[in-house]
Order: sequence, then structure tokens, then C-alpha cells
Amino acid sequence: MNKDLIYFASEAILKLPAKLDYKLVLLENHEDNIVLRDGKVEKMLRATSLSLAINLYLDGRDGFFYTNDLRPDSVSAFIRQAFETTKLLEPDETRTLADPSRYYKGGGPDLQNFDASLSEIDPKEKIRLLQDTAREVEGTDKRIISMQTRYNDRQHEAHYLISNGFDGHEQSSYCTLTSIITVEGEGGQHPMDGWGESRLFFKQMPHQGIAPTALKRTLQKIGQRPAPSGRYRMILESPCAGNFLQPILNAMNGQALQQRTSFLRGKLGQQVVSPLVNIVDDPLQPGTRGASLFDYDGVATQRRELFTEGRLQTYFIDTPMGKKLGMKPTTQGIHRLIMGSPKPAPSPLPLWGSAGPFILVTDYNGGNCDPVTGNFSYGIEGFLIENGAIVQPVSGMNITGNILDVWQRLSYVGDDADPWETELIPTLAFEDVAFDGI
Amino acid sequence: MTSNCPTDPPRPSLKGREHLRRSPLLGRGRGRLLSAALSGGADYADIFIEDTNISSMVLQDGKVSQAQQVCLYGAGIRAVRGTETGYAYTMDLSDEALMKAAKSLTPTLSKGEGVKPQPFTTTFEETGKPAHSLPPPQTRKLLLGIEEKAYALDASVIKVKAYISQRMQEVQFAASDGTAFHDFRPRTSLSVNIVMERGGQTQMGFASRMMQMGADFFTDKLIEEVVSEAIQRTDFLFSASQIEGGEMPVVMAAGSSGILLHEAIGHAFEADFIRTGDSIFTGQLGKEICHPSISIVDDGTLPNDAGMLRFDDEGIPGQKTVLVENGRLNSYLYDRISAKHFGVKPTGNGRRESFRCMPIPRMRSTYMLPGEAKEEDIIRSVKRGIYAQSFTNGQVQIGAGDFTFFMKTGYLIEDGKLTRPLRDLNIIGNGPEALRRISMVGDNLRIDHSASMCGKEGQKVTVSQGLPTVLIDKLIVG
Repeated sequence: MNKDLIYFASEAILKLPAKLDYKLVLLENHEDNIVLRDGKVEKMLRATSLSLAINLYLDGRDGFFYTNDLRPDSVSAFIRQAFETTKLLEPDETRTLADPSRYYKGGGPDLQNFDASLSEIDPKEKIRLLQDTAREVEGTDKRIISMQTRYNDRQHEAHYLISNGFDGHEQSSYCTLTSIITVEGEGGQHPMDGWGESRLFFKQMPHQGIAPTALKRTLQKIGQRPAPSGRYRMILESPCAGNFLQPILNAMNGQALQQRTSFLRGKLGQQVVSPLVNIVDDPLQPGTRGASLFDYDGVATQRRELFTEGRLQTYFIDTPMGKKLGMKPTTQGIHRLIMGSPKPAPSPLPLWGSAGPFILVTDYNGGNCDPVTGNFSYGIEGFLIENGAIVQPVSGMNITGNILDVWQRLSYVGDDADPWETELIPTLAFEDVAFDGI
Repeated sequence: MTSNCPTDPPRPSLKGREHLRRSPLLGRGRGRLLSAALSGGADYADIFIEDTNISSMVLQDGKVSQAQQVCLYGAGIRAVRGTETGYAYTMDLSDEALMKAAKSLTPTLSKGEGVKPQPFTTTFEETGKPAHSLPPPQTRKLLLGIEEKAYALDASVIKVKAYISQRMQEVQFAASDGTAFHDFRPRTSLSVNIVMERGGQTQMGFASRMMQMGADFFTDKLIEEVVSEAIQRTDFLFSASQIEGGEMPVVMAAGSSGILLHEAIGHAFEADFIRTGDSIFTGQLGKEICHPSISIVDDGTLPNDAGMLRFDDEGIPGQKTVLVENGRLNSYLYDRISAKHFGVKPTGNGRRESFRCMPIPRMRSTYMLPGEAKEEDIIRSVKRGIYAQSFTNGQVQIGAGDFTFFMKTGYLIEDGKLTRPLRDLNIIGNGPEALRRISMVGDNLRIDHSASMCGKEGQKVTVSQGLPTVLIDKLIVG
């Protein structure tokens, strides 16, 4: 990464006819995206992008500017125009840079989360990985209509320069391999499902199991239909459990609190969900996705408890929101969320053998949650299960209720979260959930 | 107000137009670039150059203290052989960088005989015009006026957040089949969020509009409409509640209910899903899929509409495509690749979010043509059901055809009358089934101009939708 540009930009800001604070972030991304369909390369994209993000602070006025036209003349002109725009804003004393005492000062661990060789790997090797993946299921089932296998990777580098004393560099990478399969279903339907896995380094990529898992999941969907309406135990499969937590995380956001549009306003320290809920944000584990030594404001990251035995332990408060709310700033958001105690290998869900009936939810289909009340309605699909056996695959059903009420009825937290994700949420069970179907 | 409102001179981008004026697509360079892109055996190649400037301002807590400006500048080069695509993009528009990007495509496709670029059949006459944008001081004044209006309309208003975004995208395009265009695409939007407090309860609502226009977008009428709508929607939420769900008839109100078409059939008509066999509508061309009184179009010709395209992002002229004609499936939504695959003409639906993305089939403005029924008769025909009025989001599963959309506001219908106000219901159906279950079509088609973004394969594009009031005999509500 050529860092000269960020220093060029800071000099251009210093030449402006006023003293400004600033935050500059130079971003470089390299990406490879390859799609294999039915054994042949259907799409292939290789690209490197470079861009510059600028925050200017002028006596409480805060403007955000972004450009990927990085020719020196263009950058200088862009900064001059950014200054003119910022001048027109009204002062808001809360909109300042973070307190420099909170900045990352160095000395953190090597996060071991950057594969420097990723962009140098011959695309043919990545195509071979795709072909190996696809070959595992090719010709194994006549019901397959189409199979798409996708590989994408990304090398990310960012250099930060903040006028009140921060100069930092971060880098990370990931690779993802996904298989999506469509099969001939019942009544003209074409059930489609997929499976994917991510790693930090190319050499860590799994060479087996992704396409067979995708095929198994797709075939299980044949014959999906709504089950009778009623109140069921709901088991949320790990890959989709995170979506059910999202409205709660959104409600912890300082902006929502300040705008009085959060159902968690005034609930800090209170038990708002089941005592089974223990969640931390741990950005400092080397070799994991989401690991980071500082946030977008340059503030040093730290392990932070979000929920302890169901008690809300923190909000996400940045510097401006901290000033507006009269609260101590924490962090802008989550880096690596961990619920329960994840283990590297999944273990069977003991509830599977229970009498039921219960509904195992494997995916969502639309829906929303009101940020003020927490009332939600989500479309779901999955399986109706009784006496340890699948009665029918279900789709076309809604789950409804109040998000905090349902999280109070959490009865089981698994240990099967995927350690390669940025949000490690295992399989969960909730009691007495309203399902609307036929 | 517009006529009195001073505006910036036409200023399509931060850098002015001199950069794209010097772009290699305007000279002989385009032939060399396209030849390089074709040299690996491709049968088609194109170059898409973009210079986009987006400026926005936010009013929050009584102050216009936040502004954003985004500049996107670069070129995407594509080589296609059959259904295989190689794609590269660059932010450096020098001849050398473009040539390097074009040559990088050579090894990506399977080997073929290839073709030579054809002479250009269209000139680089500008098809659109740079629009006047509202300068920052006037934008700020407008935002403060919006806040004042909102507080004046209802004493329960405690927070107003208003957001104005103005975009100018300048595009140059050249393809190996001789197609070329140079377009200016302005886009302006206004969003208003309202928080109201009453009797210890808090509610939040919003309204928005988006059009392909410059400063002419901002009229007194439009601002009044958006602010009033945001307040009415928020006010409505105090008395509205959820209901116990299940299967029931749903009357979709005219306008934003067009989300039904977008989710239930629109995505499943996109011809990339037909080509791969993924869509539930695969193989249904020419077949009767719903009542003969129903006709549905996807239209890129509505003036200033968010889905309007003078040319799509593959150089195909904007047009209106009849998807369903008198109940029969008449056409899918084709980009160049799928059209060639099926041996038909592209329908102008090849769109991309930016130069960083490959074009894929996308909707434009999707709506149902009006029928003959009166809305009051449609409501009167329902014993117990839902009248769905406004929505926040929707989704579809292409293969199974299962779609959902989230109703923010509506009413319970009891004995043919609107009774209890309802909110926050997810409505689920199956696309082909829902179409077959439309039993009444109103005479009141309305196109909704809310700021709607549609996502597919990680790319967002602007769309619009419309519907006359319709009755669907049965959907799952919850």
C-alpha cells in the first residue's frame, strides 16, 4: 500500500485557509470473484480498488467525503470543495474527534488475519478448488437443475491518519467458498439452498463437504408447505440465529437511544433477556475474523461484555453520541461477537430427541422488527419435528411476538457456532413462540 | 418554490466534464480497447465509464450539521463468450490502465474464434442533460423548513430527521457490436423520519420520494406531501396493533403495494434465473399464469421515474416490456447474455450499481395495468381480511416462488368495512399462486415514487413499482 497519498491529502488540508481537524482513511482492497456453473466458469472478476475517506471537523461542523479519483490534482480539488461544503454546516459541539487518550498506542498482538499471498495465487488454483467442490455432487442426483459454486476472496488494507494524534495501519483477509443448488421439487417448485464456509487464509479452505451439504439442505426442502398455526418450541439453527439477535444489537446503538427510537433506552444494567444470554465482543483473538486492534475512530478495542446472564452491560456509544447523551463513549459497534462458549467442532443438539412438536428454523424469508416497540414478524422456513423425526419441511410461515419477550423464553444455548464467522452464535431454543401458518 | 429557487449551474460532477470529454471512448482508443478485450476469444465486449458525484445533507436535532460528498470514478470492461463473462475494473482512466484492464480479460474465457469490433452505429450524442443541483445553502434552508413544517403540523412531534441526496452520474459506454452512448443521469431524493411521543408512548414513522431529476424535484407540493405522509404514518401507529395471523384475503391498496409484483413475480422473471432453470416461472412463456384481466409491465420509459433508463447499462435503448398480457406470460426481463441465450432481443434490463459491477437483469418500474373495479367495491366484497397500505421491505425465494413483504400500516376488514388499524405484519405467499388468486383489479393504478432500492447479488439499483387496488383471495398474514 502506497501511503504517500494520505500524507499528500493531509498537507492539502493544512493548506486550507482555516485550522481543521481531520480523519483520513486510505483504503485498498483486492478482490477475486469467480462463479462456476455446471462445471464451467460463468463469471470472473479480479480487481484492486483504492479510495480515500475524509472527515473534516471545523468548529463543530463535520463533513464526510469519499473519492476514488486519486490523481493529485483531483484530490486537492476535492479537499477544497469538501472544505467549502463543511463551512456551510451549522456547528454542533458534539461532533469532534475521539479523545486521543483512547487511541490505540501500539503494542497489541499480531492478529494473524492477513493472507499476503492471496492476490498472488494463480486464479487457476482457485478455479480448481471450485471444480473440486462441484465435482463432489455432479451427477449424484437427477433432481439437480443447476449448481452454482462461488469463490470470493478479499485483501483489505487501511491506513488511518487522524489530526489529533493517530497514525495506524490495519489489514485483514478472508476467502469464502459457497455452493448453491436448485433441484426439481413438487408442483413445479424449484427448491434452492446452499452452504458456504469462510477462512482467513487460502490454505485453510476446506476441499470437501460444502457441495454435499448444500445438496442435502436443498433436497430436504422438497415438499415445503406451511404447518398449522400454533405456539411451538422454536429451535434456531446456528447459521441463522444471528439474525434474531440483530434487532437487540440495533437497539444498543447510541443513535437509536438519542433519537428515542430504541426499546432498550434506560435499560442499562437491567436483566432484559433470559439469564442464559452471555455475549461478549472480543476483537483481540489472533487468527479470527473480525479481529481488530482499533476501531474506525482509531480508538483501541477491548474485550467487552454486552450481556451477562441476561443483563444489558453496555451500549454502542461513539464520541458525538457520548456527548449528546452525557455518557462515556464505548465503541462504535461489534467486531467479533461471541455467545456462549463456542467449540471448534459442532456437537449434536440434545433437544433433537425431545418429544416436540417443535419447529427447527433454518432460514428467514423477510419480515421486520419495529425498533421502538420490539414487536416483530419474520417469515421462516425449516422443519416441523415430532418424536425426533421430521414431520414435514415448512415454509410460508411467520413467527411473531416481541423480541425481548421471546428472548426471555430462551431455554437452550448450543455450542456449535462456526468459529470462522464474525458473529459466533450457536443453535438456540426458545419456548412458546407464536407461528402463523395454515 | 422551484421557479424561485436559485440553483447551481449544470455541474455534472466535481471534476467537471473535461475528464470524460477526453475519455478514450470518444476517439479511436475505443476500438483498440475493445479489440484487446475481445482478443481472448470473446464474442462480445463492452466498456462502461462512470463519473458520479453524490452530495447529501442531513438535518438532525434542529441542525444541518452533517454533509457527505462521494465521488465514484472509473471504468468497467467486460468480455463475454456465450454465457461466460470476464470482468475487470479500474479507477485509472489513462490509456495504459484501461488497456491493462482489457488485456487482463484474455485468459478468463474458454477459447473461441472471437470477433472483431464493429463500426459504431450510434454516435456519442448526449442522450440526457446535466441537471441543475440545489446548492448547499439552499439545501440547508430547505431542510430547516421541513423541520419547521413538521413541528407545526403536530404538537406530538419530538424529533425530525430529514435527508436530501443529490446524485449526478455521467456515463459513457461503447460495445463491440457498435453500440455507444453518453448519458447524464441525475437522481434526487428526500427522506423524512418523524418521532412522536404521546401519553408515554413513542412511535417512529417515515416517508420518502426519489426521482431522476435535479433541483426541479423540490416543489412545495412534494415537500408538503412527504412531511404530511411521515406524520400521518407515525400518528397512525399509536392506534394500530398486530393481529393473530393465519390465512385470509388481502386487499392491496393502490401504489406502494406494487411490492407484490416486485417480489411475487418480478425477480422470478429476470432471465438469468430462467436461463439457469432456477426460477419457478422457467418454461412458462406463452402460458396462462393468471386471470385474463391481468396485464403487468416493466417500464423504463416513465419520465423522471427512478426506474427510467434512456439506455440500460449495456447500451440497449429504454423500453417498456409487457411481462404478462391478458393473463399470459409474454416476456421475461432480458439482459444481453440471456437474450442471446434464448435467441430474443434484449429488453433493456441490463443494469449495474456502478462500474465495479457486471450488469445483470434487473427491474425498472414494474406495475399492473388498471382494471375496472372500484376500490370501495373490492373492500366491500371481503368478509374478514386485511387492507394493506404501506410497506417497508420484501423478499423472494426465486426457486420456490415464496415471497414476503412487511406491511407497516393497514386495516382489518370486517363485513366489507375498514375497522381496526393494523401494523407490523409480514405477509407471505407463493408467486404463481398469489397471481392466480387475484380476483379483482381496481381502476386506480398509482405508481409509488418512494425511495426504493432493490438488491441482487450485492448490487443495489433504484426501482419503482405500482398497482391498482387488487384483491388476493388468500395469503398468510402474521
